[in-house]
Amino acid sequence: MAKTYDYLFKLLLIGDSGVGKTCILFRFSEDAFNTTFISTIGIDFKIRTIELDNKKIKLQIWDTAGQERFRTITTAYYRGAMGIMLVYDITQEKSFENIKNWIRNIEENASADVEKMLLGNKCELHDKRQVSKERGEQLAIEYGIKFMETSAKASINVEEAFLTLASDIKAKTEKRMEANNPPKGGHQLKPMDSRTKDSWLSRCSML
Amino acid sequence: MTEEADFSALIAEGKNNTNVRCQYCNSLMLKAHEGVYSKEEVEVPLMMQKQDRTADSLNTEPLQDFWLVKDMMTFENIGFSNTVDGRKFLVCADCERGPVGYHDLATRHCYLALKRVVHKEA
Repeated sequence: MAKTYDYLFKLLLIGDSGVGKTCILFRFSEDAFNTTFISTIGIDFKIRTIELDNKKIKLQIWDTAGQERFRTITTAYYRGAMGIMLVYDITQEKSFENIKNWIRNIEENASADVEKMLLGNKCELHDKRQVSKERGEQLAIEYGIKFMETSAKASINVEEAFLTLASDIKAKTEKRMEANNPPKGGHQLKPMDSRTKDSWLSRCSML
Repeated sequence: MTEEADFSALIAEGKNNTNVRCQYCNSLMLKAHEGVYSKEEVEVPLMMQKQDRTADSLNTEPLQDFWLVKDMMTFENIGFSNTVDGRKFLVCADCERGPVGYHDLATRHCYLALKRVVHKEA
């Protein structure tokens, strides 16, 4: 079967319990009518399709599924990840402080060139805010990553955040492809080769 | 039998002739011509479970008509549940209602139940 997309990116959501990662992944779950069956067994990941610069991009988005309660996320979870959303809750100071620990965990376990982005979630809860937007921005600058405040509940910036992260991964991927295959005489630009796709597919056996 | 007649109108050259969407929120799950009609006999948990059921008495119904999707990345938008007995259940990526089908971990094939989705372009 012909491949119907240009890129395939695996994204992870990481952060303390209760910061609303699940709501970011499952943006509509607040309003959703969850049947007992699905809400009991839980959702593992989602596939979403977006378009950037006329390229069709498939996102496979994973939540940590409660592993974060143990403060460590296994290497297996990070394997193949190309983008990571670091999420804290603007109403929970602790979740913001822990971002540093999460970044350390990522550095120890994930691929060195994984694209990261910082999200301050629950930005609709003005009255309960404990972490100013400036502090979020400052931390992001410190780590050289992008930052956004989001509200999964009010659907603020969630889609934008994913588009931004995907766009940065795409730019990085294309740059790397160009470096590996300079578009000069005789050289051919390789499309996303089958190796990439195979590694994705083989991941599925771990699920 | 009437149901089978209904389904035949959705099939062209063995494939879905329209887009496949969530029956509740209209989220686009699968584009036209991406699923292969497949006749199976599978017990799939009901979308609505009785409140008083015990853990081992899942309410299921037998389903026969599916769109077979061999590569999960073919879907436009879809969610996968955690694994239960070698299967993951498919849910709407937006409203999370389901199961609308299942994913067999052994074959990696996905089966989207015709009865649990709607077939329309937009």
